[in-house]
Amino acid sequence: MEKNCQELESYSVPSSSNWFSWSNIHEVERFSLREFFDGSSITRSPRIYKEYRDFIISKYREDPSRKLTFTEVRKSLVGDVSILHKVFTFLEKWGLINFDVKRNNEGDNCNGNGKTTSVGGEEEEEESWKGRVKLEEGAPYGVRVVAAPNSMKPVAQLPPPTSVSVDGGRGIGEVGHNGFKWPPLASYSDVFADLAQQEKKGLVCRSCKENCDSMHYEYTKEGSFILCEKCFKSGNYEENNSADDFKLINSGNQNNVWTEAETLHLLESVLKHGDDWDLVAQDVQTKSKMDCISKLMELPFGDRMLGSAQRKRKFLDLTGDVSNLKQGKLAFKESQESAKVEDPSHELKDEGQQNGYTDTEGQPLKRIRMEPTSNTTYLMNQVARISTAVGPHVTASAAEAAVTALCYENQCSREVFDEDNIFVDLKASAENIEQKRAAQGNLLDGDEGPKQSEIQGPSSEKDTIQINLRMRAATATALGAAAAHAKYLADQEERRMEQLMAIMIETQMKKLKRKMKYFDELELIMEKENAHIEELEESLVADRLNVLQRIFNAGISRWKDHASMKSETGSVQ
Amino acid sequence: MKSHSAWGTSKNLVKFRIPTSDNLVPIRLDIEIDGQRFRDAFTWNPSDPDSEVVVFAKRTVKDLKLPPAFVTQIAQSIQTQLTEFRSYEGQDMYIGERVVPIKLDLRVNHTIIKDHFLWELNNFESDPEEFARIFCKDMGIEDPEVGPAIAIAIREQLYEIAVQSVTSAKESRLSKKGRRAGEIFSASKTGGNAVDLVKLFGNKSSVIRKRKEWDVYEPFVDLLSNEEVEALKAREERNIR
Repeated sequence: MEKNCQELESYSVPSSSNWFSWSNIHEVERFSLREFFDGSSITRSPRIYKEYRDFIISKYREDPSRKLTFTEVRKSLVGDVSILHKVFTFLEKWGLINFDVKRNNEGDNCNGNGKTTSVGGEEEEEESWKGRVKLEEGAPYGVRVVAAPNSMKPVAQLPPPTSVSVDGGRGIGEVGHNGFKWPPLASYSDVFADLAQQEKKGLVCRSCKENCDSMHYEYTKEGSFILCEKCFKSGNYEENNSADDFKLINSGNQNNVWTEAETLHLLESVLKHGDDWDLVAQDVQTKSKMDCISKLMELPFGDRMLGSAQRKRKFLDLTGDVSNLKQGKLAFKESQESAKVEDPSHELKDEGQQNGYTDTEGQPLKRIRMEPTSNTTYLMNQVARISTAVGPHVTASAAEAAVTALCYENQCSREVFDEDNIFVDLKASAENIEQKRAAQGNLLDGDEGPKQSEIQGPSSEKDTIQINLRMRAATATALGAAAAHAKYLADQEERRMEQLMAIMIETQMKKLKRKMKYFDELELIMEKENAHIEELEESLVADRLNVLQRIFNAGISRWKDHASMKSETGSVQ
Repeated sequence: MKSHSAWGTSKNLVKFRIPTSDNLVPIRLDIEIDGQRFRDAFTWNPSDPDSEVVVFAKRTVKDLKLPPAFVTQIAQSIQTQLTEFRSYEGQDMYIGERVVPIKLDLRVNHTIIKDHFLWELNNFESDPEEFARIFCKDMGIEDPEVGPAIAIAIREQLYEIAVQSVTSAKESRLSKKGRRAGEIFSASKTGGNAVDLVKLFGNKSSVIRKRKEWDVYEPFVDLLSNEEVEALKAREERNIR
């Protein structure tokens, strides 16, 4: 909240206290300090409370940099000191006084990010007051969430993962900074758009200019063009071309025979490249992208590979990390493989053993299918679940990948994680940890023995301190991500709630409007009836007059009907 | 209107107790044996069994290495004060809505404290220890004995006022003028002590004190040098004698 006094100073107040206003007493105040509002004593009333509150806050704001003590104010206020102290503590707790002072005193973690504004209720971190329960918004203590590295502009969530895909989509198959290959986070249209166009282009019949569907005839001589089936049959050849010159091409039946060798190639390359259909198509030279995909789907277990890709999309929209878990894992394996010169099949088999897959098909799969367990939206739960489902190596490399991904976004974590040695260190430390755990005893010992000894040579010279720092930075970033996710969810919830409230209010309004309409109609009816009855009355009166007139004209003696006439005239008047 | 009902409600009469959240009795000891002087002040929980008194006395003597003759004296003194407290316990006291001024004027080791503030009598959640703690924190007092001393001083004053209101309750009952008069009687009797609520909290006045009164109600804390302490000590002893 900003209060503009003559010098246009602004005072910082946490966003959770933006209910405060000088001219009003808010529900929060009524609730927390209810002894002022229940009329229990002459010494406590809303007016008195307001005076206390305004005085204390003004006193604080005379010099916002110094911490206002209770003793300073109580000398100036008339009242029981215990009650005064209660008001004082209340104001302090809500940050209406002594707010900036606390922050400055607790050290400059925020690099000057002291000011918070309450615009829209989105805040960066607020330090938790030790020992006090306080509603916090934003990332927890010590974690800074900023829009871009070294900028002061706060944001509430991590930047959306499109940045990751931008980096990754830099080039399909391109090797990224750290030797990671980012598989493209491509949508259907990206991958297949050009294909579709191609086919479209190719299938326009020359003569009738329509798309040829299944079969078309290609003229093989100079300047080949195509005719659709209909045109061919109708003899519309153009330029004296004979029927022999045309070759029948059945586009619906292209290259559909898969030899065993091709199938093997296909599977290998899918395992190697994953989603990367261009590469797969390259490997399986004789088949196009579409063919590969369709063939894969036809294979008994093939759609498992494809299917699991979709499941990961779900996590993408919230943080980039989780998707990186899978893809980073793949990419890491990729680079691992490329680094070693070994027989590919042996490699694959090794992997299978490493990861402890119990795949009954005998083919080690790069992807595990997770049950759609995302009934829980809790990010940490999901991460925990995934990490328990895969082996420790996978988790380690996934963590590396995540950290590297975040390095792209945040300058300071890049400083922490020295790029050159990121692989070696983290991998080595992860391995150390896992060995201690010895969860998968012989697997680790047997296969990893030779490989580890190479790696641990260089790494053993590294500082353990650095590793610790990196660990902590990594966990801090993970927690920050989780916190940001949590905040996002909370925001969502709030918005939903507001929506529902709005709907409720609308329906109430409608109800009321209908009632009003109903009453209006009733009124109309009543008026009409009223008019009707008035007419009746008038006509009755007229009748009476008539009768009387006739009586009069007939010369009936007056005093006979005197009494009755008197009453009548009286009433007629 | 409110003041009428406040004085007249049956809430006025409560059983005697120290009107704070903990019903703790302030005990003061000042014993001299053979030229050796022992002074102390602390709070005692009256619901503790009396056997604890002797245990406490023994431990105090042992910790402070006093001659054993002090044990009985200490125990006796504590017991006397406790009994006195208990003698009031069954009776009623008039509390009503009273805000009393509390004055502090004490010396603890090297620190002098003078203070003056208001305290609401019928606030049974009040906590002198909490007040003392905040006081020491805000004024930056480092001597850990000051806080308890302040709390005890407050309690003593509250105790005294509570005792007074018991006696006034008794008197008003004895008075022949009946209930109404009795209330007025008690109000006026102790009125000198209590603060005029209507004047201060009524609609016409502000609860913000005038500036010239601020230093009356401001706490005064001072640290004395050794000579000043000695001088003061001597003066106190002369006063007592």
